[in-house]
Amino acid sequence: MDNPTGLAYLAAGIGSGLAIIGGGLGIGKLAASAMEGIARQPNASGEIRGAMIVAAGLIEGATLFALVIMILLVIK
Amino acid sequence: MMLGAFLLTVALAAAPQAEPASAAQASPVATESATPAAEAPAEHAPAAAATTGAAEQPHAAAEGESHGTAAETLMHHVTDDPQYRPFGMPFIFPGGKHLFFLIFVMGLVILVARLAIGSYKNGAPQGIGSVVETLVVYVRDEIALKNIGHDGAKYTPLLLSFFFFILFAALFGLVPFTGTSTGNLSVTLALAAISFVAQQYAGISKYGVAGHFKNLVPHGLPAPLLLVMIPIEVLGMFTKPFALMIRLFANMLAGHMMITALLMLVPLTAQISQSLGLFMIPISLGMALFIMCLEVLVAFIQAYVFTLFSAIFIGMYAHPSH
Repeated sequence: MDNPTGLAYLAAGIGSGLAIIGGGLGIGKLAASAMEGIARQPNASGEIRGAMIVAAGLIEGATLFALVIMILLVIK
Repeated sequence: MMLGAFLLTVALAAAPQAEPASAAQASPVATESATPAAEAPAEHAPAAAATTGAAEQPHAAAEGESHGTAAETLMHHVTDDPQYRPFGMPFIFPGGKHLFFLIFVMGLVILVARLAIGSYKNGAPQGIGSVVETLVVYVRDEIALKNIGHDGAKYTPLLLSFFFFILFAALFGLVPFTGTSTGNLSVTLALAAISFVAQQYAGISKYGVAGHFKNLVPHGLPAPLLLVMIPIEVLGMFTKPFALMIRLFANMLAGHMMITALLMLVPLTAQISQSLGLFMIPISLGMALFIMCLEVLVAFIQAYVFTLFSAIFIGMYAHPSH
């Protein structure tokens, strides 16, 4: 192998892309359901929004774990 | 309540002081190890064009002189700078850039709180006081009381300290030539550690040490299940603040990296040709401005999310499910 660190950059690039796909799908699905819920029950929009932000935060947290690993791959 | 909140802010901001100080000592190593690696991707593009491995080394070294500065600037923008001169003043602030802005934002939070308290006339807030009151009432009613329950008022000062410190640090960090102290892992570690202590205190003060740890797992579980549940719950105790730490850090770091990277497009394309660089200016500025507006939103969301999750976790330990 000529340059093994190049593989780390490749892994970081592909890995962060995959992590973003997962996080994007998760939050997208969550937002779609929340919109649907608000459309059906407009007077419950406050509660739905609060619950949506909590769940979005958890999904985002999991995605960020992956991204931090990618950053570590690049700067190590 | 307000006074208590901002006395706690002092304690809160004083606690991380030790952290960035040690981080600042460690950071020369960190920045040195970070910058060559960050330089490398910029070098790799021209290096890939040179097909032979022998030609690669001197070529990359020569390119590194001119191109490496882009990645260096990017990393310099987001990492702690131990040789920081506050606002270009002719002295080095001991402890580095992030510690300086930590203390600066701490002072700002106290100042805004004092101004808000002072703005009350005949029991009604004026000017800045009404803005602060809206946020304080929101944190108390929508975050603390809703998620912790009737004893949420006890934790409101702490949650307000989290909220205002994170909000101000993030907003102030968007001002050019400043830094975001919450974009430093040591600072968010200290914030998460305070949150962790508050969570454990919520459980222990209510049920005692033994009762608190007994509450970690639901009552009446079959014994074989306990073998799995106890390690998971003990692990969960630490992953909660860890997630808080990583979330805040990564959000603050990512936003600033994005803005810098978009602004760096101009010098990078100008290296290819000058007219392309000039053409890039409005595009780059427009995108950077968009991310900057997004960052204002992110500042509020992250302050809200950190406070909300702290409240939820405190409530989880204060009212375990039976």
